[in-house]
Amino acid sequence: MHGFFGRVLHIDVTSGRSAWHDLEQSRLRKYLGGIGLGTTLLYDYAPAGIDPLSPRNSLIFASAPLVGTGLTTTAKFAVVTKSPLTGFIADSLSSSHFALELKRLGIDALVITGQAPSLVYLFIDGEKIELRAAEHLRGKTPDETESTIRSELSRPDVWVASIGTAGENRVRFATISNEGRHAGRGGVGAVMGSKNLKAIAVCGERVTSVAYPEKVEVVADSLRRRSLGSVTDKYRSLGTVANLAVFNRLGTLPTRNFQQATFEDADALSGEALTETTFSRRHGCASCTIRCERLFKSQTGEEQRLEYETLFALGPLCGISDPDCVLQAARLCDRYGLDAISTGGTLAWAIETAGKGLLPEAQTLGLRFGHAEGALAAIHAIAGRQGVGGLLAEGSRRAAIETGSDSSYWAMHVKGLELPGYDPRSLKTMALGLAVSPRGACHNRSGAYEADFSGEVDRLRGDSRRGAMVAASEDFAAVLDSLIVCKFLRKCFTDFYPEAAEILAGVTGWDYTGAEMRRAGERIHTLKKLFNIREGWQPDSDWLPERLLSESLPTGVAKGVGLSRDELRDMVRGYYEARQWDENGFVPQRKLDQLEIIMTATSLCPA
Amino acid sequence: MGTPKALLPFDNEPLIVHVVTTLRRLFADVVVVAAPGQDLPPMPVTLVCDEVAYQGPVAGIYYGLMAAKENAAFVTSCDSVFLNLDLISHLLSQIPQHDVVVPHWQGRFQPLHAVYRRSVSPLLAEQLAHGQLRPVHLFDKVRLRTIDEDEIRRFDPEGSSFFNMNTPEDYAEALKRWSITRRGGHAVHCTVELFGVARLLARTSEVPLVLPAGATFSDAFAALAEKLPVLVGHVISPDRTRLVDGYACNVNGLSFVRAPTARVNPGDSIVILSADAGG
Repeated sequence: MHGFFGRVLHIDVTSGRSAWHDLEQSRLRKYLGGIGLGTTLLYDYAPAGIDPLSPRNSLIFASAPLVGTGLTTTAKFAVVTKSPLTGFIADSLSSSHFALELKRLGIDALVITGQAPSLVYLFIDGEKIELRAAEHLRGKTPDETESTIRSELSRPDVWVASIGTAGENRVRFATISNEGRHAGRGGVGAVMGSKNLKAIAVCGERVTSVAYPEKVEVVADSLRRRSLGSVTDKYRSLGTVANLAVFNRLGTLPTRNFQQATFEDADALSGEALTETTFSRRHGCASCTIRCERLFKSQTGEEQRLEYETLFALGPLCGISDPDCVLQAARLCDRYGLDAISTGGTLAWAIETAGKGLLPEAQTLGLRFGHAEGALAAIHAIAGRQGVGGLLAEGSRRAAIETGSDSSYWAMHVKGLELPGYDPRSLKTMALGLAVSPRGACHNRSGAYEADFSGEVDRLRGDSRRGAMVAASEDFAAVLDSLIVCKFLRKCFTDFYPEAAEILAGVTGWDYTGAEMRRAGERIHTLKKLFNIREGWQPDSDWLPERLLSESLPTGVAKGVGLSRDELRDMVRGYYEARQWDENGFVPQRKLDQLEIIMTATSLCPA
Repeated sequence: MGTPKALLPFDNEPLIVHVVTTLRRLFADVVVVAAPGQDLPPMPVTLVCDEVAYQGPVAGIYYGLMAAKENAAFVTSCDSVFLNLDLISHLLSQIPQHDVVVPHWQGRFQPLHAVYRRSVSPLLAEQLAHGQLRPVHLFDKVRLRTIDEDEIRRFDPEGSSFFNMNTPEDYAEALKRWSITRRGGHAVHCTVELFGVARLLARTSEVPLVLPAGATFSDAFAALAEKLPVLVGHVISPDRTRLVDGYACNVNGLSFVRAPTARVNPGDSIVILSADAGG
């Protein structure tokens, strides 16, 4: 088999037993790799209705056909599990050397189930599998964990994915981190922590076989050249922090827990200002020509990665305008292994709640908008689940339910996942994308905002056409996330589906068409939705927080613009129509037949 | 004025065609409410008849709404020659929380430059039955959003949107204004705001431009290239007529420019940013 190895490694960390299982070629062809493959395996390995933090939940690391082929931006892996934050699917991506090494084990996916009796780490050296005591790693940051493991194994060729203190403490929005990157959203790190698994260290020797290496090299070369053109200029010159000033200008920068969509101190936090004042160096993942990562230097001289989502969530969302404080907060999130968006979103909820006198302990911490010390203290408390941090470690939805007194009104999440840095009231296509995403409020599993920023639609006014746009964007993302290709390369394709099919055909030797690729995207997205339905999805799950439907924007170019329930309902209805689901958003049998998704009551038949 | 108002020549076409053409840039579906027996040129619109004559604007609004396909509709008169699409978009953006969105300009409501929900139709029918022929009677009975002058000026500083023609002098004035806009009597003062890579390259965030009347965005890019040659090849195409792939242009933080041949309006802020807004 080219492009894949056709097998999955299953390790039960309770017993330490492991087994290799064959993967059917039909499954790989229909669901590709990455998130598509991971979702199918979740059906196989996670029983319906399980507690996400129980030993029976499975934590799946899925590789993909393009990994290891040298194609730019493809050194990626997916982590798929049932989310402890949403109770639905969590599918997160991370990248760089760990991704390459995972595939060099000669597997397409690693499935972990069970719960070790004490803290361990997993060392997989080719076919040799070892669970090693990790009590000495408790409390270490992911970076420290990685270097300690390498050092004690005397193996500089080992690559490590690990959790920080937040994952150990099962903070529901903990990440899994490798080389400074994170599989960030949905609490995959908490699932790893619940298995008493501190880290996974891998080292392999297998090489990904490519069916037509010369053909693939021609495409790879072309993509490399395109990846250095003007369409990626932003990522190469400023990174995603460039979004902040633009979003502020367009009235869509969530500020003070979505009470405003402009921030009066945005200039100080803009990517342009940071680049001119604190920029340290540019960095990139393995096998990437774009190299979007920007490191900035804090006043103490420490380097810190910063992306737009981190910047918005720990800055304007919490009313914080001091760039150095944002860098410090971002550093804490990285060191503890916390999803910065959910951290910022939960902090913003806590700040507003404390302001109404409902969380006395949070007031004691100094939690108020614009007060950086309070935010930093709260991040420490969350990671350690100390004091009110124990409540906040549950995420904004659970914390609000626990607190009561209408505080759910200002808990800004969808399905339990905190909102990213796009105000849905001034980006109506994005509003729909956020509402219906299987992962919860997510900006990565569709690029719905692209329609709003294109001029193709009126971004301030929703209509039923948005459904088809969001569905198309989701399918596109599903293919990118399953092949896996970085989204920052997406505009380098001229005609994506035929080009992607040609690449896959060159790697696997399959006769694969653009139409088949497009259908794979729809199938993968549909399967994620089916998983959610299996886990209790209901029509009211596809909805936005009450604040967004009740308050108009008070400032900026979109001042006075709101989002009504009717407007959202019409868009959601249009989306279900575009998907050919029933009017309540359930997937009818004829759609399953059309997509060749064959299911039993609880599991998936891949063939 | 000797000729039915809708058929007055304007920019080499009947006035009604000019207005419909402008509206079709924003709306897929345009409804024209005609008087019984009124002669109109062929247009890509839904044509309905005002069944009872002399009932004024309330009847026009009512019959128009009854024929509209969407839940809400922008209503205007056939002699509104200086419609501003950004202002109309803003009015539309307010309707989800309201039944009627109406500008208030120089002390007067502008009911024939307003957005109405279709659900107010029964109230209009009731007004017609009671002979209440002024649209403002409706405003007390609905969830009304009034757009005040400050808010209007963000999109239309001079309130040209509300200019209409009731006398031959008004018509002459409209032709004169249009001619100035088209051929240039007044230069267009505007500002270019630079974001991201463009700002870093130019080492400035704002550039004022003075363009000839009737200037297009292509003209603005050329003028900007003249002032900031460093942007040519990176942000502005070598022929200086457009932005290179990867960059986008927005006007006043609101609408995105899809065609560089579109016209720049006085006072516009031309925002140049990365076309890729995500990440």
